[in-house]
Amino acid sequence: MRQSRFYAFVFVAPALLMLVAILGWPLLSAVLLSLQDVRSVGSEGSWVGLANYRKVLSNTAFWNASWLSIVWVVANAAVQTVLALAAALVLNQRFPGVRIARTWIILTWIVPTVVVVMIWRWLFSTSGGMINPLLIQIGIIDRPIGFFSSTWSAMATLVFINSWRWFPFIALMMLAGLTRIPSDLYEAARIDGAGTIKRFTRITWPLLAPTLGVLVIVGTLLSFNVFDIIWLLTSGGPAGGTRTLPILIYETAFKGYRLSEAATVAVLASVLLMAFAFFATRSLAKQGDER
Amino acid sequence: MRRGVGWNIVLGGVVLFFVLIITLPFWWVMSGSFKLPQEIIARVPTMIPQSFTLQHYVKLLSSSDYPTYMINSLVVASVSTLITLALSVPAAYAFFRLRFPGREALYRMILLAYAFPSIVVLIPLFGMFAKLGLVDTRTALVVINVSFALPFAIWMLRSFFGSVPMEIEEAAVMDGAPPLVILRRVMIPLIAPGIASVGIFAFIMSWTEYVFASVLILSDAKRTVPVGFSGIIGQYQIDWGLLLAGASLATLPVILLFALIGRWFVSGLTEGAVK
Repeated sequence: MRQSRFYAFVFVAPALLMLVAILGWPLLSAVLLSLQDVRSVGSEGSWVGLANYRKVLSNTAFWNASWLSIVWVVANAAVQTVLALAAALVLNQRFPGVRIARTWIILTWIVPTVVVVMIWRWLFSTSGGMINPLLIQIGIIDRPIGFFSSTWSAMATLVFINSWRWFPFIALMMLAGLTRIPSDLYEAARIDGAGTIKRFTRITWPLLAPTLGVLVIVGTLLSFNVFDIIWLLTSGGPAGGTRTLPILIYETAFKGYRLSEAATVAVLASVLLMAFAFFATRSLAKQGDER
Repeated sequence: MRRGVGWNIVLGGVVLFFVLIITLPFWWVMSGSFKLPQEIIARVPTMIPQSFTLQHYVKLLSSSDYPTYMINSLVVASVSTLITLALSVPAAYAFFRLRFPGREALYRMILLAYAFPSIVVLIPLFGMFAKLGLVDTRTALVVINVSFALPFAIWMLRSFFGSVPMEIEEAAVMDGAPPLVILRRVMIPLIAPGIASVGIFAFIMSWTEYVFASVLILSDAKRTVPVGFSGIIGQYQIDWGLLLAGASLATLPVILLFALIGRWFVSGLTEGAVK
């Protein structure tokens, strides 16, 4: 027992030290920063108590950004879950080329975001992009539209691009859950005369649900924190229509030179996210116990 | 499992949809990078290039430090991957097997690392790195990449350890082997696919990281591909040919890596994760 503790310490300590120094300590200093009035990196501030919190909570920009973050997360979760589930179900079938498909579906995720951004900015652009001419040919629109020029289409386009990048990753995790379902269950159901749809609703769905739950939580955390795709494509525009919380934090800190205020928004966002993660994992664990 | 004709058609349709939506953008970019400028901006886009030129690549390689960015990215990503593995394998094993007080609480706290916006730590870290003289060094990027890859790496490796049959490990314990020997001689060889997939994960995370590299690196000679590439976007009037060539070159190394060991990554993800 004593020996086991010694090894546990030796094994865990290096990784833990790293995480404490690079993530834990800065998090703590962000909290301290939110209680001061520091304006730019390196300058000294004085303690102001909760003044920043009062200021941020009475600021409409903060509430707008929170609302947009919720829209962003929910829309991404919906689009990604549907796409990923469809892809995972398909990849779980046997067809020629399935092995290659399983490997290369992840292509959108292994490419740098900067490249993803450039690809789609080009494809959606009004000069030379492929999407406008395509839509005109099909007859959906009759003149090129600027996808990033109105708030709602900018948001929808960003959700599409971010989902395009992330759904294959989620799909592979779902596939992991699918391959764990014993195949004799399906055999037995087939012998009992259950059709494809019944097999899905009675076997696949209930057995996959816990995996889906975990993935929805992970996906929510991941998409909430997405910064680079939004920043590089719209910088939060047009007219603040895609300014989610991470964008607001970055703008406040590095464009507005109000570091403490940015830290305050960041702390509030983290509290929100951790509360979500806490309750979501707990309710998932409870469901697991009842099963 | 047998399928009817109807289901086969549905399946084929869905497969086609995914193949198109994933590969078509890449095809347009790669083929576009060889087209003449006037063909790139033609009103009616061409699926198959009508012209061929290397002028965009020539311009890219002669007017920017693209090769340097590529080398920087390769070095940063490789070193980050090695360190991530060196730290996460023992930690994951301890969280999986060894008993010590506060194990579960610590494990959960590590996973919480993804529960806050990474922008949050950027502000204090910049100050900290400035004091340590780490701003504008590739070391800073390695440190960041490792920290962000670690929680997922530990989580994934722990479930890989869980997939090793109990009896194999018990036999080694019976022989009185200390944990370090069990880990090195028994466990690591058994979870090699898991280690490979965690390694690929860390490499790709590092290869694609943009935000921290854009703030922490100041001099052109130390830029990684994502930052260097976004610099090119801003530097010129929008020159799509140049950008398409840059995008193709930034994609090439990960595609090569994936062609070699991508299979491991996917089988690792599907066999080890989500337990």
